[in-house]
Amino acid sequence: DHEGIVCQLLPTIPCSKSNGPFTLKCSCESIGLQRTLCTSAVRRQETAASTTSSAKTSRDSSIFPPIIGEESSLRWGGKKFEELPIAHVKATYNNTHIQLTESTGQSMVRTSCGTEGFKNIKKSTPIAAQTAGISAAAKATAKGVKFVRVVVKGLGPGRLSAIKGLTMGGLEVISITDNTPVPHNGCRPRKARRT
Amino acid sequence: MSRHLRFIARTVMVQNGNVDEAYKILNRILTHDGVIDAVKRKRYYEKPCRERQRKNFENCRRIYHSEMARKITFISVTNREDPWLGC
Repeated sequence: DHEGIVCQLLPTIPCSKSNGPFTLKCSCESIGLQRTLCTSAVRRQETAASTTSSAKTSRDSSIFPPIIGEESSLRWGGKKFEELPIAHVKATYNNTHIQLTESTGQSMVRTSCGTEGFKNIKKSTPIAAQTAGISAAAKATAKGVKFVRVVVKGLGPGRLSAIKGLTMGGLEVISITDNTPVPHNGCRPRKARRT
Repeated sequence: MSRHLRFIARTVMVQNGNVDEAYKILNRILTHDGVIDAVKRKRYYEKPCRERQRKNFENCRRIYHSEMARKITFISVTNREDPWLGC
């Protein structure tokens, strides 16, 4: 069931039209390098050979996110990395919440396992998280969102399946961040369970 | 991380639509950095005496494992110069 991930990303098609859904800018640079070629006027129109070869090299080397300086030349749907909407996934041990916000922080869509009709123990399952992800993605695509960066918080059962649900529902996940709060010995947690 | 290094720290880009791969990479990075055990441990309070015992145990375990690995690699070397050559 999980193998049927719909890969919305078009395989490295040479993007020769300027208003395609996936306009790949000249991405022949790695993160730290600045080459004048990439900041030249030729941005969206590129020849097939150079696009595929440079696309391959950039895809292989860019596991790190583009730093929010002036160097990045990657665009998703015409937007820079820092302008894309964010999907916050809060995976607690009893439930999973998914909230889609703009890059400014304005909330667009909010779903959770509870809003999908699951109750009590069924909310703390990966399947419930997946349905929540699918419904969140459906609502988001209705608002015209395509590319999204995911921020996960917490170690719960729905941590991975919520992201999978987002992809299955039609959104395109471009980066995964982990924002699990780890206190530097702040508040004292509850006492140890004895089972 | 909340406001510091937002989308710089603990972030992995998804390549070619491989969300599973990216998640695995992220998980591996987090376990190597000890973030996942720290979160699991801080779920319930660990008393200082238990913490000292655990640290001691982990130290001993680390020493034991490294020594054992060293011993195994030493023993599993097959091509050695003959120590009794010339006798």
